[in-house]
Amino acid sequence: MSIESVQVGDELGKLEIEITRTLIVAGAIASRDYQDVHHDGEIAKERGSKDIFMNILTTNGLVGRYVTDWAGPNCKILSVAIRLGVPNYPGDTMLLTGHVVETDPSSNEVLVEVTGSNSLGNHVTGQIKLVLPKKEI
Amino acid sequence: MIEEELDPNRPEGRQLANELLRDESPEGELLRDELLEDKLSRYVGQAAGEPVIALDEVNQAMIRHWCEAMGDRNPIYRDENAAISNGFPGVVAPPTMLQAWGMKGLGFGEERKGDRSEAFDELMELLNSNGYTSVVATNCEQVYNRYLRLGERLIVYPTIKSISDRKTTALGTGYFITTETDYKTVDGELVGSMVFRILKFRPQSSK
Repeated sequence: MSIESVQVGDELGKLEIEITRTLIVAGAIASRDYQDVHHDGEIAKERGSKDIFMNILTTNGLVGRYVTDWAGPNCKILSVAIRLGVPNYPGDTMLLTGHVVETDPSSNEVLVEVTGSNSLGNHVTGQIKLVLPKKEI
Repeated sequence: MIEEELDPNRPEGRQLANELLRDESPEGELLRDELLEDKLSRYVGQAAGEPVIALDEVNQAMIRHWCEAMGDRNPIYRDENAAISNGFPGVVAPPTMLQAWGMKGLGFGEERKGDRSEAFDELMELLNSNGYTSVVATNCEQVYNRYLRLGERLIVYPTIKSISDRKTTALGTGYFITTETDYKTVDGELVGSMVFRILKFRPQSSK
């Protein structure tokens, strides 16, 4: 993708992520996060959760993937700022949507806003800044 | 910022209040534990002890585990030629892995499982011993100065930036703790930074 091909208001498309126990645990371990609430359901309940839930590093990774799936391998992410709302529990589905909110042709930078929602509400909202190459002439 | 969003005059604050930070406490439960808060305040601004050296260099195996978990098929994270043809110097790590490089992992029975400092661990222990035993992350803001290449090792510089007043949320009563972390190479190059916020809370069920 090139900076010239992106316009404010462009949609990033939809990505549905099934929130399985496998995803939650694999994401936690891949991010080296051994907090018990991300892999041990019994302890998660003792700590006031209804089940294990996705860690923020996995959410961050999924948001990053969503944006680069859209922008392509030649984009470069400059920043990711996310805010968590409701948890991602096993058995749910998270729907990621997003749109372009700013483009800067002088710096080739693009700002996108992303929302990931599940059956409980918004799991994540965030802003991602990335840089795209210019179209090759 | 979660604390600011609690401002009911801001639409964002109202939305989040509905989603997460609903005040469910009965009246009279909001008395401050002044002694605890005095102790907490001593941690703010602490450069948080020694910097933490990442246990592992940026490496293909951990990148693969991450990409498999995330379902991320971007070839620049595993294919040298694809990385180079897309303008990278070689295989690079997913930028959102930044924090993962500094995590302690399971360790060998040590209590420290995060990527933060001794002062931070002390702060957690102080809150644990006062009943604030649960933790949930609420915000993460990362800036990537550049992508990381295979073989690089990071040094992590965490600082405890702020501790909120006691807040009552849908999850329970607790404190928002914000850390700021710089990630540098062993040569001192700042390659990324992160602002991270957690809620350390007393779960509803253990009232």
